[in-house]
Amino acid sequence: MIEIKDLHKSFGDLEVLSGINAKINQKEVVCVIGPSGSGKSTLLRCLNLLEDVTSGQVLIDGVDLTDPATNINELRTNVGMVFQHFNLFPHKTVLENITLAPQKVKGLSFNEAKESALPLLDKVGLADKANAYPESLSGGQKQRVAIARALAMNPNIMLFDEPTSALDPELVGEVLQVMKDLAKEGMTMVVVTHEMGFAREVGDRVIFMDEGIIQEEGNPEQIFQDPQNSRTQSFLSKIL
Amino acid sequence: MIDAILESPYIDSLPTLFEGLKMTLLITISGLFLGFILGGIVGLGRLSNSKILRGLSTVYVEIVRGTPILAQVLFIYYGLTEDLIGISINALTAAIVAITINAAAYIAEIVRGAVYSIEKGQQEAGRSLGLTERQTMRYIIWPQAFKRMIPPLGNQFVISLKDTSLFSVIAVAEVLYMGKQYYNVTFEIFETLVMVCVLYLVITIPTSVYLRHLERKLDV
Repeated sequence: MIEIKDLHKSFGDLEVLSGINAKINQKEVVCVIGPSGSGKSTLLRCLNLLEDVTSGQVLIDGVDLTDPATNINELRTNVGMVFQHFNLFPHKTVLENITLAPQKVKGLSFNEAKESALPLLDKVGLADKANAYPESLSGGQKQRVAIARALAMNPNIMLFDEPTSALDPELVGEVLQVMKDLAKEGMTMVVVTHEMGFAREVGDRVIFMDEGIIQEEGNPEQIFQDPQNSRTQSFLSKIL
Repeated sequence: MIDAILESPYIDSLPTLFEGLKMTLLITISGLFLGFILGGIVGLGRLSNSKILRGLSTVYVEIVRGTPILAQVLFIYYGLTEDLIGISINALTAAIVAITINAAAYIAEIVRGAVYSIEKGQQEAGRSLGLTERQTMRYIIWPQAFKRMIPPLGNQFVISLKDTSLFSVIAVAEVLYMGKQYYNVTFEIFETLVMVCVLYLVITIPTSVYLRHLERKLDV
């Protein structure tokens, strides 16, 4: 479970997050939507401390990330992240991309790591690409490898930072399908997305952010059919 | 016809110049080898989290890059007297040291530039998987950065090679110095200097061509 308490984040003089309070329960799929510059990606990146928190707290299963005594590397193994631009390691094959962290962080042998990697590749539909290099893959394939790479650490929580925004339209579906499967298996997911269809269909809850705060949250029906906040209404009217 | 070429003043100068070329290559290669080690250390200093290490390496790079190599080698050879430092430095040592400290300063910047050129997302992906900063550098950033260092390192080789010609001022028997010695006797100044330049080009042009080929191959 993730608990966010009065989270503030500034870049220099610019305050990007102005007091976020939220709770994300186990097995919940929360979609974060909002206009660009609303702070939704920054919020996500604070959840595994890729961004330092200016003030406030983030607790994951009761452990405070902002406490300097917290072993952040250990915590990150429990929180997978998928990036907009995939960030695969271009000098490594698909299999090596997936097995690197289990070997170096968890101390598995290559063969052990490979044994758990192959079913993951199968799961994302890329069993035949184990020995390919990222440059030979399509965007959708790259993102599916990135998901498998994050899953290889056996995380309880997965963070998705606009996972389909850099994809050609015809490749979005295959990535969303993998994410849907994950949600069905009960993965706790926080998804920053512009895919309203996905948010509506898969999300248990939708959070609408603007100007660094949560303007409105609720179940997808409520947010999409009957938004209360005027900013939510104007945002949705522009994109739907 | 063949006799005319073989007996031309151009060809006659070659045995002397080849002696010099050997010295030029000895200085360049040993200087670059040592410069690579020193430059790697300084480059790591430039990337360090420690303010002191970063400061020291920045001062080193700025001083070396901001002063002419000719002044540096005169300083090392004539300035650092035996009275001052307790050992006497011969001309060859002074030349190798000058190439080393110079190449190191530029190689440090090559190292730093290559590491900075790796997209921030690579670092983030590594850290998000639970790798430490050190592991991320070692397994993800360095292998990619190293590839990007190869073309500028080749370029540095060409620059250092040409810099060795300055060492004729301290009577190091490199190719230009040997050329001067030769034309002082034969008075064939034009022909000798043409051949000196040809010998430099024989090394620099294939190097550049190979580097361009390598850049395409490595796709950097």
